[in-house]
Formats: sequence, C-alpha cells, structure tokens
Amino acid sequence: MSGDTWDPIEFELLRNAVVSIADEMALTIMRTTYSGVLRDNMDFSTAFCDAEGKLVAQGLTLPGHLGSIPTALGSVVELFGDAIKPDDVFCLNDPFRGGMHLPDIFIFKPIFHEGKRIAFAATICHHTDVGGRVAGSNASDSTEIYQEGLRIPPMYMFEQGKRNETLWSLIEANVRVPVKVFGDIRAQLAACNIAERQFLELVAEHGVDTMCKFLVDFVDYTERVTRAALTELPDGVWSFEDWIDDDGVDVGKPIRLFVTFKKKGDTMYADWAGTSPQVKGAINNTLSFTKAATYCGVKSVLPNDVPANEGFFRCIEVTAPAGTIANGVLPAACAARGLTGFRMVDCVLGALAMMLPDKVMAASDGGNTGVSIGGYDDERNPFIYVDFACGTWGARPWADGLSGNSNLFANMASQSIEVTEAENPVEVLSYEFVPDRAGAGKFRGGAPYRRDYRLLETEAVLQVRADRAVFRPYGLYGGNPGSPSRNSMNPGGEDRSLDSKLTMMMHQGEVFRHELAGGGGWGDPLERDLKLVLRDVRNELVSPERAFLDYGVIVDTENWTVDAPGTEKRRAEIRATRVGELSAVLWDDWPRVDQAAG
Amino acid sequence: MSTFRVGVDIGGTFTDIVFLDADGRLFTKKVPSSVDNYARAIVEGVAEVFSEAGIGPDSIHEIRHGTTVASNAILELKGAKVGLITSAGFRDVLEIRTLRMPRLYDLTWEKPPPLVERYLRKVVNERINADGEAERVPDRTDIAAVVDGLLAEKVEAIAVCLINAYANPAHERLIEAVIREKAPDLPVCISADVLPEMKEYERTSTTVINAYVLPVVGAYMEALRKGLDDDGITAPIYLMQSNGGLTTSDTATRLPMHIIESGPAGGVIGSQAIAKASGLADVITFDMGGTTAKASMIAGGEVTRALDMQVGGGIMHGSRLLTGAGYALKVPAIDLAEVGAGGGSILSIDVGGSLKAGPLSAGAMPGPVCYDMGGEEPTITDANVLLGYINPKHLVGGALPLNPEKAKQVFEQKIATPLGLPFDVAAHGAHLISASNMIRAIKAVSTERGRDPRNYALFAFGGNGPLFAAGMAETIGIRRVIVPPSPGLFSSFGLLYADVEHHYSRTFRRLLSAADPGELTEAWDGLAKDALAQLKREGFDGETAAVERSASLHYKGQIYELAVPAPDGNFDATKLAELAERFGQEHETVYGHRAGPEEPVELVNIAVVGRGLSETSRVPDKLLSEAAARPTEAARDAFFGRENGWIETPIIGRADLVKPVAGPAIVEEYDATCLVPPGGTASLDRFGNIVIDL
Repeated sequence: MSGDTWDPIEFELLRNAVVSIADEMALTIMRTTYSGVLRDNMDFSTAFCDAEGKLVAQGLTLPGHLGSIPTALGSVVELFGDAIKPDDVFCLNDPFRGGMHLPDIFIFKPIFHEGKRIAFAATICHHTDVGGRVAGSNASDSTEIYQEGLRIPPMYMFEQGKRNETLWSLIEANVRVPVKVFGDIRAQLAACNIAERQFLELVAEHGVDTMCKFLVDFVDYTERVTRAALTELPDGVWSFEDWIDDDGVDVGKPIRLFVTFKKKGDTMYADWAGTSPQVKGAINNTLSFTKAATYCGVKSVLPNDVPANEGFFRCIEVTAPAGTIANGVLPAACAARGLTGFRMVDCVLGALAMMLPDKVMAASDGGNTGVSIGGYDDERNPFIYVDFACGTWGARPWADGLSGNSNLFANMASQSIEVTEAENPVEVLSYEFVPDRAGAGKFRGGAPYRRDYRLLETEAVLQVRADRAVFRPYGLYGGNPGSPSRNSMNPGGEDRSLDSKLTMMMHQGEVFRHELAGGGGWGDPLERDLKLVLRDVRNELVSPERAFLDYGVIVDTENWTVDAPGTEKRRAEIRATRVGELSAVLWDDWPRVDQAAG
Repeated sequence: MSTFRVGVDIGGTFTDIVFLDADGRLFTKKVPSSVDNYARAIVEGVAEVFSEAGIGPDSIHEIRHGTTVASNAILELKGAKVGLITSAGFRDVLEIRTLRMPRLYDLTWEKPPPLVERYLRKVVNERINADGEAERVPDRTDIAAVVDGLLAEKVEAIAVCLINAYANPAHERLIEAVIREKAPDLPVCISADVLPEMKEYERTSTTVINAYVLPVVGAYMEALRKGLDDDGITAPIYLMQSNGGLTTSDTATRLPMHIIESGPAGGVIGSQAIAKASGLADVITFDMGGTTAKASMIAGGEVTRALDMQVGGGIMHGSRLLTGAGYALKVPAIDLAEVGAGGGSILSIDVGGSLKAGPLSAGAMPGPVCYDMGGEEPTITDANVLLGYINPKHLVGGALPLNPEKAKQVFEQKIATPLGLPFDVAAHGAHLISASNMIRAIKAVSTERGRDPRNYALFAFGGNGPLFAAGMAETIGIRRVIVPPSPGLFSSFGLLYADVEHHYSRTFRRLLSAADPGELTEAWDGLAKDALAQLKREGFDGETAAVERSASLHYKGQIYELAVPAPDGNFDATKLAELAERFGQEHETVYGHRAGPEEPVELVNIAVVGRGLSETSRVPDKLLSEAAARPTEAARDAFFGRENGWIETPIIGRADLVKPVAGPAIVEEYDATCLVPPGGTASLDRFGNIVIDL
C-alpha cells in the first residue's frame, strides 16, 4: 500500500479515466492510418507517461512494443531535460538512441499545467517507408544501419508550437511516400493532442495533485499486483535454448538464442547471456525489443488483469550482453528484428514451460513471415505489395494449438485477398490450411496455412523473411514438433524449394508459395482422445495415414468411426518400438525409431 | 376496430408487451420469457392483456417485434447445419477469419468455433479476378458433385461465397441454379445477394450467418404466426432490425441477418422519437438492465450507425480496439457500445487492494444477495439497497421480497471491512465505480467519435438506467437527463416509433476524381429501384416511400471507411466535390484532422436506405397509462457520499413531479427506480418524461 492516503475508490475511478485515454489515442491512430503494416498488424502503440517518462498506461495494441516507450522517452528527457517547454513535440527513430528500428517513429508531447510538466503523451507508429536501399525500409538483408534509411536522433518536431521545418523537409526528401508518412505523423499528433486535452480535463476536475499522485499510485499498484502474482510461482532457475535458421546473409549458419530465468520471491530475472553475437543481417535486436519479448512471455503466465506499466517492469529484470543479437551495437542492422523478437518469445515460453509445465504452450510457427513483391509497371509507376503471415499456435496443456490466429507477440490481422488483388498486380491463388503439418500430441499444434501469390506484372523483386524452415517448432512433454515452414516457386509444376530468407526476381505468371510451420504438439499423441483424431481426419486436417502413424488410430472413413480394438493394438505396437526416455522438449517426431537407427 | 399497435420485446428473462391506441391508451405486460418456445409467452401475454383490458383479437392493428431469437441461435451455436461452397484454394476463409484476437497475452484464448465445420466446407474449381472477369469457369459436373456431397450430409441450408463474386456473381448464380435444381426447397444464400461488397471474410461470414439462422428464424416466425392465428389475431408482424428500421416478416425470414441485434434497437428508436418531439436533436441513450449497459448516440436527430458488427463475442468492456471475439456481420446496425455492467455485477477486491465491479455477474440466478435466492457475492444491486436507493422491502412492483440485512452482512464482510471503510462509503464507492465502467460505453459512442458528450442530453431507460443516469451525467458534465414513461419496458415501447426500413449496398470502388458521374448515378439508381420495389410490395408508394443515399469513403490507402450522406439526383462534378467535402468534414469531426487536396478520396461502397413512412404520427401526444401504483412510504434515508452523508429522501411517484421537485428524491415506479441526486431538479414534461436538470 502506498501509505495512508490510498483511496481505493478514487483510485479505481481515475484508473478507468486514464486507461481509456491511452485506448482512445490508439483508436484515433488505427482508424486514420495509411500504413498497411500499421493498420493490419496494429504495429503502433500509444501510451500515457508521467512527467519523468515512466509508463503509466499503454493502449491495447502491440505486445511487441511493451516497454519500449520508456526507453525512447528516457533519451528525450535525458537530452532536453529542463529545456522542455509547453507545446514542444519530440520525435526519434534511432535504435541506438532509444528507438527500435527505423520505420518506428516515436512522437512525444509533454503535458504542462501552470508551467509545470506533469505528464507525457507518447505514440509509436511503424511507417510505410523511411528511405534506405529497399522500399518499405524493412529489408532483412541490409548489413549496417546506414543502409536502412533516415536515422532521426531525439529532436524537436515542434518547438513551442513552431514546426521544425528542417526536420520536415529532411523527411520529405528522404522517404519514398511522404504523403503517407505525413498522414500517419498527423494521426500521431492528433492522438497526443487528444491525450493532452483529456488529461487536462481530469486535472481541472480532480486537481493537479490528485492526478499526479494517481500516476504514482497506479504504478505502485501494478507493482503490488505483479509481485503478488510472481510470489505464487515456484522459485528456481530455468534455461532454454532455441535456434534461428540463419540471418539470410550467412546462409545456413544457425543463430543461438539462450535465456536463463531466475525466479526468487517476488522478482523475476531474465538473462540472455549465451545468445549469439550480433549478425550481419538486419535481425539484431535493441535491448528494449528484447525486453518487450521477455515481458510478453512472462505476462502470458501471470493473471490477465495485471496492467502493463512501469510497476510491472520493476519486477522483471532483463539483461543481455552488448554486441549480441539480443542487444546490438553500432552498426548493427535491425530493420527485420521482428523475426528475432518472435523467436525470443518462443524461447521465453520454453523456459517458462520448464517452470510451469501445465500453463505454457509448445512452440508456435515462429511469428511473422514477411513477403514483399515490388517493382515498376510498364509505365514505370512503382508498386510495392507487403504481406505478413503468421497464425499457428503451439498446443497447450489443456487444448489444441490455435489455427489461423495472430501470434502472441503481435496482434495482427490478415489483409483481405480481394482488397489485395484490387490494389496490387498480384493474384492470391490459395489461402488455406495445410493438412498433416501440425505437431502431433495429446493436444496437437495449430494447423499452418499457405498463401500462393501469382505475379501479374512483367517482373518484380520478391523478398521473403521466413524462419523455422530448419529448426522446427518444438513440442513439449511428449508432443511432436510441428513441420517446418517452406518457400517454393511454382507449386504444382516446377515446385522449386527456396531458402527461408531470400531476395530474387520474379516474372509474370510465376507463383510464389509460403507455407507456415506447424505448431508444436503437447503430450503423448497416443493419449489423444479418439474423437478428436476422428474429427481431424473427417475435417481433412489429419490424413488417415498420419492418424495411423502418429496417433495409432484406425479410422473407418466410410462410416466415420474409429476401430477401437485395432487402435488399441496399434498403440501398443508403437509404444513397444519407442526408444529412450521421454524428454520435456522434443525437436524430433515420436516414434523416434528412425533417429535411433540413424 | 383494429386500433391498437402492439410492441413485443423478448429478453433473456422477460418478454415485454405494450399496447397503444391512437387515443394514447396504453397497456403493458411483463411476462417471463418461454425459453423453449419464445412464441408461447407472446401469445399468452397478449391474451392476458385482452382479458385485463377487455379488448379482443380484432383490436390489434399490427404487431412490432424485437427478438433475440437469431442472436441466441448464434450465441448458443444452435443454428442450422450449413454447407458452404467456396472457391478452390479458399476453403478456410471462414475459419482463419482476420487472424486477430481480442485478448492480448492470453494463452487460454479460444477462437469461436466456425459456424460451418471444415468437412462441410467444399470448394469448386473456379476463378473470377478482381476486375470481374471469369478466368476459370466452373464445371457443372464438378458443382453437382459438391452439391451432392453436401446433400448427402443432410445440410439444412447452403451458403455460397466465391472469391471476387462482388465483382461478378455469375459463378455463384450457376452454383445456385444447380442447388435449386437438386433441392428446390433447401434454403440457399448467395453472397452476391446477401452482401455484394468486397472483403471475402466479412462477406463469407455474413452469408454464412444468414444461412445459419435462416431456418431457426423461419420456424420461429411460423410458430408465432400460427399461435396468433389460433387466437384469431390476423394483424401483420413487423420485425425490428439491427439498423433500427422495421421489416416485414417475409423479408426477415429471407434475410434474417438484419434482425440479429433486434433487441436493443427499439429503445434507441423510441428515444430518437421522443427527443425529436421534445425539440432535442442531440441525445445519448443509456440502457441498463441486469447484466449489461448499452449506450448509443443520436446526433442532429439521426441515429448513428456502424457499418458492421461482431456477433456473439461477449462484451469487450467498452474497448473497441480489440476485435475478433465474435463473428463478423457486415450489415448496418445502430452503433451501440456495450459494457458488462448491470445490477447483477459482482463486487470484489483484487490482489492490489482495488475495489472492482464486475465483470462477473450474479445473473438472474442466484442473483444479488438481497434477493435471498442463494446469492453469496455482493452485487451492485446490493450496494444500491444499502444506500437506500432501491426499496429495501421488495423489488418495485412488489413481486419479490428483499433481505437487506443479509446484503449488509455480506457486503460488510467481503467489501467494507477489508477496505477499512464504513459500509455506506464503500457502497457509495461501488456505485460510483460501476458508473465509471459504464461511462466508458458513453465515451465509446461520443468522445471516441469526436463528439463532446456535454452537448448532449442523457436519455435513460432499462430497469437500472434511471438509477445511475443522473450521477453519470454529473461526472461527464451532461446537464440534462430524461427518463421516459415505463423506462423498464421502453425497448418494447420504442418499437412503436419505428419506420419500415430496408438497406441496400454494393462496392463501387473509384477515386472520386476519376469517377464517372453518370455511372455513379446509374449505380445509385439501381439500388434505389430495388428499395422502392421492395417498399411497394409492402404497401409503401409515392409519398410514403423515401430513399436516402449514403456513401462510404476513405483517403486512398486507409482501410477504414467513414459513411456520409450523399447528394440526391444526377451526379456531376459539383456533386462529386460536395461528396468529397462531406467526407473531409466528417473526418475532421471524428478524428480531429483532415488531409489536404493532395490526398485523393476514394469511394468504396455506396448504399441506399428505403423508408416506408406512416401517414400519421405514430404515437399520440399524451399517454393514458394504467393507474400507477403509489409508493408505499413517504421517505427513507439514502446516502449520497461523504460530502452529503445520509439524507432523509422523499419517495415519490412520477405523477408527483407535476410541480418540480428538488433533489434528493427517489421516483419509484412499477418497472424502475429513478434517482434524483442532491442539486438536481426533476420535473415532468408534456409527454410524461421525467426531466432532471443538473
């Protein structure tokens, strides 16, 4: 408790008011945005912070931004400090000065009352383009930050209400689509203004002292709730290791992720020592993004009503050695660091699954695959189509993994195929589940989907950022890993396999196919409920052959029944062929006969 | 002597019936809903009114009906067994949805199960491209095999939704023809008929929902008609749609997707009519019952509509950021924001020491502690009883005796003592916190839409609405609250004010700068023709049939559209410019900014609404309601917060407000309790509404 002045009723009333400010900021951005990444992936965040820049409330948007705002705002406060005046607006995007990757432009507005700074409104948006060598400023094969676009250190966007024309003209001269970028900046500014107006109304109603005290109380409250929840978890130390296929530059060279969690009393410590050194490809994280991935995993095993603010961060200490992929230093390229963030969440959940076996899911598809198809039409008009695909969850100790659902670290929506086709020289030929790819288990992983893209223009550059093509989504406690992801050209004909990360020319009529990785399974497949196997077979998500091989279930596909005695016999046979002890984490399928033989 | 119009609103617990004739004679009836067969309670309730009022079946002119039959079929997953035919490669559009989930950081999230399971989703090898050209024509034998497969599964309806069918329905029509040939009586829903708009998931989901509830609604309408016929009631039945307009029972049976959110619409339409009569153009409606509270906005005399909605997803606590909880249904609907707050909301203290109201609810069973039906968790209603706001002896109407001692004991033990607060302060806090939850619904339809709620009057109804309205209004800065007659029955009463209304829309995607005005006029006239033909079939023609245009637009590149009214008549450059300007102004109003002329405005969908107007005023100026029961006590102590403390508060009836009464006061009625706080003044207007000025 924060002393004898705590008023639980006033607290709850103000909390409703302040949390809704951050949400309303987010709504403003979402409904008016121009950036496809932003609108569909909700790749933006809004926040309300105290006068020092500590996060008090964050809009319900992107888990991947959790905790990044204080880092960025901190660098503004550090640089400008007491020089900050009413009607100033600050911005930055430099990953080495508090940002994350260049497309994410942070905008902050200080809120003043009678000459005193009392709070900040904060927004981040992923912009359509910030210049650099590849349209979209999102290329995974850049090898230094200087290739990735315009770097903005913390600076004035407005100084006491006067626009910083130097900055605006620099942006205009350096980005490919200034109209869209300025449109989204306008949305960010509108959101900050809404926050300022609403908070000042609350100040007028309740008094400035009450409101400022509330900002402190809410953070303290969150810390209490978080510590209470952490205390319920077992103490101990758990490590987990997972591998990224490669960085797309040093093709075939795996990259190690390693995290060690220590839980003691009411505090959690996460250390990423043991993770690979930073890489040439643009998948290096800032520490703030590594923190976001760690927070996301931890938050998913705590009660859902724990607020996400400074009080939560205080209870979870995250460290990562500088110069690793978890904490890159100059000149690390980081545009496509989203991939690493997604894979870190899998790694965090793996460690937490060791700590809490009955609360955590097996590995997901590894997060977003980014596909971009860009070029010029016959009249030299540029086009760029960017799509992101994810949607397969690992199985959970109580239920199958979700199929066709946003990754936990994102909150993305798929783009409509019909809108895609109306706006781009691309035809989508397939968007559906692929059978027999989910990791088998007592609960199976989510079924992955595929997308086929046919190019209608003469030629284009195809760029793909995928992963989990080599290192499969792990299964837990007897569940099989999911099938790997796959890129291929011209399925049904040539069907040429491609690397997981690629940049290549594509020609008219050619079809690029991406198949997501299947989710990892949970628990022994031989314990799966017969009705669930029957249902999967009937729904053509599992073939009768795989039902027999993986689950030991014999399905009569004429009458849609299970041959129970035959199944019992088959399951006994499979059990008899198994080799070795069951390990908690599985990278290879049961039965492990082949592996033993090989 | 067909003089009475009857409004019937079915809720989860009660079915409300209102009779009204041209002289203003009003009879009301509240009967328990018959969940096994909703029609039965209606027929029986109507018969009870007949005997009480001394009137007969031929005295009913028409029946207007709001029903949850369709939404319940979805909530309970008790719709028809539907087969879905879609394009090869896209079998799972319905199940993949938009990928988005409504809860962050939640490993326990489950998607709502698809309304058509995968084995009943079949594909046909065909393809229409984005320009509407047939790239691959489906083979008739291929279609026949797919249809035979579904018929062998004994599906009860078939939905058809092909990729890009909004641009060319030919392949869907071909499939429809094959189905009709093989199964002439089977309901078939074609996306090109149901919703000729782009975005395959929304269109597929809407088409499937229509097919899914169609047989259920059909059977219900048949049972209701038969029940009424058996009693000699031949009056036509009109159904309330989600958009606030009425439709005929024939149309509702064919396009039941329009009556999914039928229930809450009546109250909003009634508010609109009464506000208009009172000279109020800008009103926020607030409807609070036992489990949920809903807000909507009437601006400039017009109901605000959303272009789409989610069905059956539970309540998202006022946040509109997190979508994906329910099933996408892209039909125009009254824009309602809902929060899970009602009299039954359970009070608790969380681990951080903060007092919470909801989201769990004690529901109708076991209900609040004071009902003494086994409820052991303190609720908002219990707090209101302890505060003296609600009659502590029995629920209004007298049906159910209350046990305030038990409520106090449980509240002390579970809430007040742990908080270290006197019970009255804690109960008052619970009341305020519940109000602040509901304020989020009001903000969702006002500030989040760029509208300042302080410029609006608050129109409160539902069993609990009048109890909270004045306090909420004070917090927000609203200065006037209006409580209509029979607030607890107002959803059924409001049905009597509605017009017949049909909505038609289609995708017409063009940059406004590049649109051919002639082509646009033609497209709009095509929709108007459909609307007028439908109205004519229903007896509205000439003066009584009205058509209004609207358009959905955005700046090119934006995904969300804003709908604005569109100019009538033949389009030309001036009217195109006017449309662009209306959009720009709306963008500025809603989002606080607009783009300059360098950003092109894109038209996405065009729509018309056809209205069948009644020739005379629908509701008489004065209502002669049944003699109201007088309150049984003159005054009781009620608590109005630390600053005011306990005050001996007069208990009055609505009729006592003929002279203005200064708060605090409590107005007790048959179906609701209205709280007038200290500082407020309550009076009656000429329509019998309670007006509280703050």
